Amino acid sequence: MGTIKLQNINKSFGKTEVLNDLNLEIEDGEFLTLVGPSGCGKSTLLRIIAGLEQQTSGDVFIDDKNVNKTRASERDLAMVFQSYALYPHLTVRRNLETPLRLRDYSSLERFPILGNLFPNKKNKTKKIHDLVQKTSETLKITELLDRKPGQLSGGQRQRAALGRAMVREPVAFLMDEPLSNLDAALRVHMRSELSELHANLKTTFIYVTHDQAEALTMSTRMAVMIDGKLLQLDTPQQVYDNPLSLAVAQFVGSPKINTIKGSTNSDGTIKFLNLELQRKTSITNTDIIIGIRPEHLEISKDHSNNSIEGVVSYRENLGSDMFFHIEIGGDNKKLIARGAPQLTSSISIGSKVFVTRLKGEALLFDQNGSRIKFTSDN
Amino acid sequence: MHYSRAHIWFVGPAVLLMFIILIFPILLAGGISFTNYNLGNSSFEWIGLENYEKMFSRKTYIKMIWATATYVLIVVPFSVVIGLCAAMLLNSLRFGADIYKTIFFLPVMATLLAMAIAWEFTLHPTMGLVNSFLANGCGGIREFILGFHWLPWVNSNESWYHIACENNNDFPFWLKDRGYAIWTVCFIGVWQAFGFNMVLYLAGLTSIPRELYHAAEMDGAKSTWEQFKLVTWPMLGPTTLFVITITTIRSFQVFDTIEVLTKGGPSKSTYVMMYAIFEKGIQQNLTAIAAAITVVFIIFVILLTFFQRYVIEKRVHY
Repeated sequence: MGTIKLQNINKSFGKTEVLNDLNLEIEDGEFLTLVGPSGCGKSTLLRIIAGLEQQTSGDVFIDDKNVNKTRASERDLAMVFQSYALYPHLTVRRNLETPLRLRDYSSLERFPILGNLFPNKKNKTKKIHDLVQKTSETLKITELLDRKPGQLSGGQRQRAALGRAMVREPVAFLMDEPLSNLDAALRVHMRSELSELHANLKTTFIYVTHDQAEALTMSTRMAVMIDGKLLQLDTPQQVYDNPLSLAVAQFVGSPKINTIKGSTNSDGTIKFLNLELQRKTSITNTDIIIGIRPEHLEISKDHSNNSIEGVVSYRENLGSDMFFHIEIGGDNKKLIARGAPQLTSSISIGSKVFVTRLKGEALLFDQNGSRIKFTSDN
Repeated sequence: MHYSRAHIWFVGPAVLLMFIILIFPILLAGGISFTNYNLGNSSFEWIGLENYEKMFSRKTYIKMIWATATYVLIVVPFSVVIGLCAAMLLNSLRFGADIYKTIFFLPVMATLLAMAIAWEFTLHPTMGLVNSFLANGCGGIREFILGFHWLPWVNSNESWYHIACENNNDFPFWLKDRGYAIWTVCFIGVWQAFGFNMVLYLAGLTSIPRELYHAAEMDGAKSTWEQFKLVTWPMLGPTTLFVITITTIRSFQVFDTIEVLTKGGPSKSTYVMMYAIFEKGIQQNLTAIAAAITVVFIIFVILLTFFQRYVIEKRVHY
């Protein structure tokens, strides 16, 4: 079992409020990502779950047991830190053994020399040795066991830190941006390894990241946090396709979603720039914001109906994709559109282009950033 | 092939200075230690190892080595341990730490000479603060605590405190008593040295990443002692090495307290090396024997440095 429930969690440091009435239920065996821009309180939340930080108010339940008063060391969770926090004076083997030694040996058995006189210690030592061996084989770090953390590369250290968390078979793994210190290629590789590890261990993972790509690729559910509030909790696809607010829509997706100011008239028809959407909304006579993701815009050199005219100000070539930054003038200033490199190679900076949007892909938000639904009959 | 001589100009001045003010005097002292030269004499004779033989056979010099060893072996462990404890206590304080830091560091900043005079007054056998404090406490709570009457096996009529009170306030003569003087000087040495060690340890403590403590907590290190063993002590290894080396060298060099408080006495019980060098070489003009003591002193310090460099350093760095 590894369910974690957070109820009405508040946390403030002095006058600064970091977490604001946060509720979250994490299911057993889930890979839940806490994602948000830096400073949104996601790491603080993780540390509250771990017990390293005390919430100002609210309750934390692990396996339906209230752990508000339980110390971090007794919550049976394991944590992987951003800086790995390996003990630099111990070999990787001793690093992996440490959580087992501290828990399995009694304090008398840990006594130097004299501790060896206890009859049970030998069995326990053997068990610890076997567990470390097994874990290191899973993580492919067997040949690194006798080195010290200072002699390892970033990726190897990351594995060692993961190993130290894994040996103990905890209720849940807490990971605080564990991949952010790795180089780009290794980070992508470790993403798939972590997902695989999760599939094999079937333990609850709570993973904190500011990198939405990690959240989208690995998690079964992702929790988007902004300014200490949990804005949306859903599967990655749902969060991407169906964001509940403008803030979520803007945070998830790269490049950022395009926002265009528009308005609705008395019968709910939506107008923006010189265009009109076919679908209608129930909200009338008000200013709204229309969000369109870059991949839902098409770019061409030829004028067509319902197209927006603009000038290319910047081209981002990612190899598989080409992103165009297009100045359209007026309040909206800039749109980003995706094009296939083969079809758009002739479009250069400064050229005049026409942008059309794919039908049915726009998202509507009101002035406060809340999502507005289209009326369903259209 | 043309060789540039620029390197000579780069290192030359430093090497030259080092020879003039460091290596040459040491060699000179080494040379003099094999003669019978006294300052002011017009000539000298080579007498071989006679000075060294004297050092290791005459009672005065045996006492010198004994006093120095006692001082070093007491002051180093106590000032290091107390320095570490003070640093950890201050580190855990939320406020007021700066005041304590200043108080503990005061003995280091102040002139030891002035401090020694203050100690002389405090420890005066009859008028001193310490003994009048003890005398006023006869029969009271002070006698109970300091006389160890609270220990079950101490008979309150036979404790040292009680006996002193009975005998017309016969409390120790601290600096004037052969049996007490070296320990009193050691106490002042610890008092004076631990503040410096504390500051070094405070710097060492702040450089330990907080995440290591969190990792230890997650790994199940519940008690402060376990966290200390797992994180604090090993991470302070390099600091400890430095602190021990510095304190040892400084303890070998103790001079001003001795000069002000005891002049090496009573009956040479506080006759430490530095004071012996001063007395022989400056006061009695026995340059050769002073040089011999200096050479032994330098050998001690060099041995210590080598020990630190090659034996311990391999164990504390990671």
